[in-house]
Parts: sequence; C-alpha cells; structure tokens
Amino acid sequence: MDYTFRRPDFYTGVILCVVSLGIVAECWRMPRDLQGWPAYASPGVVTGLLGLGLFGMGLALTLRSVGRTGGPLAICGTDVRTYLADVGTRRLALMLGISVVYCLLLGRGIPYWLTTGGYLLAVMCVFRAGPLWQIVLISAASTAAVTYVFNRVFAIPLP
Amino acid sequence: MVLGPWYILVELWNLLTPLTLLYVGASTFIGIVIGMLPGLTATMGVALLTGLTFGFPPKDAIIILICVYVGAIYGGSRSAILLNIPGTPANAATCLDGFPMAQRGEAGPAIGLATTSSFLGTVFGLFCLAFFTPLLGKIALQFQSWEFFWLAIFGIVVCGNLTAPTDPLKGWIAGFVGLLVSQVGQEGIAAYPRFAFGFDQMRGGFALIPVLVGVYGIAEVLGVMRETVVPRVTTQIQKVLPRWRDLWQYRRTILRSGVIGVIIGAIPGVGEDVAAWVSYDFAKRGSKTPDEFGKGSREGLIAAETGNNACIGGAVIPVLSLAVPGSAPAAVLLGAMWLHGVRPGPLLMVEFPNYIWEVTAMFILASLAMLVLGLSLVRVLVKVLMVPRPILMPIVLVLCVIGSFAISVRVFDIWVMLAFGLLGYPMRKYNYPAAPMVLGVILGDMADVNFRRALIRTAGDPTPFFTRPISLILVAVTLLTVLARSAWFRQLLTAGSARLKAAFSRP
Repeated sequence: MDYTFRRPDFYTGVILCVVSLGIVAECWRMPRDLQGWPAYASPGVVTGLLGLGLFGMGLALTLRSVGRTGGPLAICGTDVRTYLADVGTRRLALMLGISVVYCLLLGRGIPYWLTTGGYLLAVMCVFRAGPLWQIVLISAASTAAVTYVFNRVFAIPLP
Repeated sequence: MVLGPWYILVELWNLLTPLTLLYVGASTFIGIVIGMLPGLTATMGVALLTGLTFGFPPKDAIIILICVYVGAIYGGSRSAILLNIPGTPANAATCLDGFPMAQRGEAGPAIGLATTSSFLGTVFGLFCLAFFTPLLGKIALQFQSWEFFWLAIFGIVVCGNLTAPTDPLKGWIAGFVGLLVSQVGQEGIAAYPRFAFGFDQMRGGFALIPVLVGVYGIAEVLGVMRETVVPRVTTQIQKVLPRWRDLWQYRRTILRSGVIGVIIGAIPGVGEDVAAWVSYDFAKRGSKTPDEFGKGSREGLIAAETGNNACIGGAVIPVLSLAVPGSAPAAVLLGAMWLHGVRPGPLLMVEFPNYIWEVTAMFILASLAMLVLGLSLVRVLVKVLMVPRPILMPIVLVLCVIGSFAISVRVFDIWVMLAFGLLGYPMRKYNYPAAPMVLGVILGDMADVNFRRALIRTAGDPTPFFTRPISLILVAVTLLTVLARSAWFRQLLTAGSARLKAAFSRP
C-alpha cells in the first residue's frame, strides 16, 4: 500500500512560507554597502527577491489547498499509525537508516572496505537478497571490486 | 560552417583510438544498463559518472558522459517493452505500444524498432546540433547581463510549466528552490558568504554533483527499495533486426518526431520525456491508423523513441551556445564541462572553435555504439533486468557516495548528497519535478550575478531589463507562460476572441 498523507500541499505551503520568510530575513541582514558596492548590488538583493517569490508561491499553495474540498487539514493519530504500519514505510525507514549510518561512518578512520562491506552485507541481509553465502560472496566481491577499481585503477581517493 | 562536415570527420578520426573506442563501448553499455533498470535515470547515470571520471582527461571524461547519456535514454525502452515499466521517464510513451507488441509475441521486432529509431533520432539530433549551435552562438553574442538574467528566469518558468503540466506551481516552486540552493556560499561579485552560518564548509556552497546525485540517485534508490513488488521478464525474444520496410513506411513520422525532439530539447530544462510524449501525440494525430495507437502500433513506438533520442542533440544546442541546459542530463553534462575546464556559452566558438565538431563526433560514436550494442546484446541485457533490486541498489548507493566524494575529496559532500536525497524523495512522491530544481541550481549564479551587474552598469536603473529587444521578448514569453496557466486569463482570452468574432460577423 502506498500511503499518502492528506493535504500534503497545505503543509508544504506552510513550510515553504516559513523557510522563505527566514531567507528574506537573512537577506535583509546581509551588508548593503559591501566593498563600496551600491545597495542595489548587495549580496542579498537577488536572493531576497527569490525568497519573496518562493513565499508567494508557498502562500498560493497553502491557500489553494485550504480552498479545495477534501479531508480535514489536521493530521490525526490514525494517519500517523497507518503510515507507520505501511510495509513500504518500514522498508524505506530501514534502507534510509542503514544508509545514513553508513554515510556517517565514512571518513572517520574506519577502513573503507570494512564500512562498505558491512553496509552491503547489512542491506542485502535485511532485504533478503538471497541465501547468506551468496550475500556474503556478493558483498565481499563488490567491495573488493569497487575499492580496487576506483582507488587503484582510477586513483580516486575513497572516504 | 560550410566546412563543418569536414571538421566533424577530422574530429571523428582523432577519436578513433583503441582506448577511446573501449571507453565508448563500455560507457554506452553502462548507459544502456542504467537506462533499462527502472529507477535509475539518465541524469543519475551522467551525474554518477561525472564524479567517477573526474580524474580522467577532459576529452575521455566528456565522451564517456555523452555515451552514458545516449545509452541511458535508449536503454529505458528495453524495460518499457519487456516489463511495461519505463526505465527512465523519457521512455514512458514507449510503454504504450512497446509492451502490447511484446505481449503479442513481437518483443524482438519492438526492441529492433526502438533501437533503430533511437539511432535515427540521435543522428538527426546531432546534425541539428552541428548546424544550429554556431547560428545560435552568433545570436547569443548579442546577449548581455539583462538578457542572461531573463534567460535564467525564462528557463525556470518554462521548465516548471512543461515538466509539471498538471500543476505548474509545483514546477515553479522546484525551480525557485533550485535557484535558492545555488545562492548558498560565496557569491560571484564580492565573495560574500551567504547562508554559511559560520560553517567553513558552507562558505564554498553546495557542489553541483553531490546535489544532483542526491536528488536523482539517492531519491531513486530509496524509492526503488520502498517497493515490494519486483517485476519479472516473461516474454520470449526472437528476431531483433527490424524490417527496413517498416522504417521506410514511417519515414515521415521519424522526420517529424526528430524535428519535435530537437525543438523541445532546445527549450531550457524540458527534456526527453516531454519530447517523447509530444512526438507520440503528433504521430497519433497525423497517423492513418490512430486507433492502433496504444495497442501495439509500430508507428507509435517509432515516434516515441525517435523523439526522445533526437531531444539529446537539441538539449545540447543551448548547452554549447548559451550555457543553458536543455534537459536535466544535459545540465549535468554542462556541469561536467565546467569541471573539466571547458566554458560553454557565447564565447565557445571564439575560445574553442572546434569543440562543437568534437562533441558532434562524440555523439556519432555514441549513437553507433548504441545501435551495435542494442541489436547484439539482447539476451545479456535481459539478464541485467533480472538482478534483484536489494543487490543492485546498495551497490548503486556506494557508487553515489564515491561519485560525490571524488570531486572535492570532502566528507561534507557525502552529507550534502544524503540531504538532497532526503529532499528529492518527498519531492518525487508529491509530484514536484526535479528537472526545474536542477536547472535552478545551474542557472542561479547566472541570474544573481547578471542582475546585480546589470544594475551596476546602469547605476541602479532597471529600465533596460524591459526595453532591450531580446529582454523584452524573454519577459513577454515568461509572463505569457505564467498567465496562460491561470483560469482567469484563459477566460479573458475566450471572452476577447468571442467579442472579436462577434464584431467581425456583424453586417
């Protein structure tokens, strides 16, 4: 089942409005006489205008969503529970979780082959890509190939 | 210009070295594999290979990327025909007639027709590339800061409009988000670090490739891994070589789809998927047998595949002449050219006069490799479709990490890639197209620097933004694009035309 939250446009619009107002406020704080350039050439001019444009579009998205008929605007507990119970959500969370841990471990002194081999093994095991011996073999071979080809052949540094 | 064909032959001869041919064969094969695997797109493939080939000599790196681009756009037709799932968005229209053909036991002829029409489309596109790029380059020499600013805005608006046809607001939002992403880091006039918030890494801004790999690669990996159903190929494939009678019979469709593909390709950021749909639609309207479309029509299949591959050449025309990409993969190609020290744009013909011919020669090799591999490696490629996703996708993510890291050797870029993957996934789920965002990231600096530079040149007077002829045209088209999507403007137009009709019909 592919669960979709009700009124996603409303929440996206609100988030866009808040973020774009933050951008405009930050642009306002940027220097207006930097290195002797006039105010109209200051670093925040275009960015501020873009922020205002995004605010307008976020507002339009929000108002349009409010104006349309459909489910209520508020997210209820059933929504969250249905979303969390969804098989797709669990698969997504697992893949995302393992991938985030992998990316956070890179560049911290752990050998690349160990981190990458562990990552491939973990994902293939969790998602049941095949028999265990096959998974171990594929992840070891892939790690060795990637490390050798990119580090040795292409001379690309690895994290 | 007259000597163009000669220059192309010379460049082609220069490229015919064993190593280059090896790169061409291998990278076209990789491109086809990337294209045919549902979830992996041409943009992701080109972005990934940009990082992985960063250490290569510029000529080798660019030819590899071009081959991946051509191969991937074609490769998507394979899964469209065999699985009814487009390998890339560019092949969605191919499903309509390719899969019904496969269902009635004509998978081989469908693959053959898709391959030859993709080849013909690419060849048509590359000849347009060779012919029109110098012409557009001459016009582009008239462009100054005012025009470049409007060109960036025009690109975002048109791209947002066409890539989100049911809800252009989402396309424009994606484009503006991209423009704002490009504003992070030191700006181009006074080197002021915007939105750095005291972090040294943020002062350099977000590098293009990690952003693109995140939006296309990571978002796609997450999307594919979320799915529980894995499609299987059940069709038998016999004879693949197409009948020349079919191709000759549909020569008008091929030519029309080629022209449509090139024109749509040349529009900033729009891309191959729109080209395929428009070509398909025009072919159906002009067909003697429109009822067969959607039920396994050879003409429909030819139109879609010719259109999307002709779009490649069209998309590279503005890349070389204006430094504005015509599609998302072309945007990455532009970024790769920058990385390798080539500066596409109006001055390209002055600084690197042979570069257009060199790129054309690269496209010729790529299209030939696509034709040969597409027609010969049918069974091998079908086996690739059978690789389980839980094996393939984590390996793709590992390659995404290397591709993002390799360019600047910064762990920060891996986090950037991950963050944009997390942004790209909900964008895709809630129908915010990624192409305008990519275009925004590419064009943001151009918009920012040229707007401020233009104001400096006129001491703060904004009038030339609206009075210079090319600026005026760009403003008018941009405004019309936006207004044409609003209901009240369409009502106004309808009422106005009704009044005009009434006025002229009075005795």
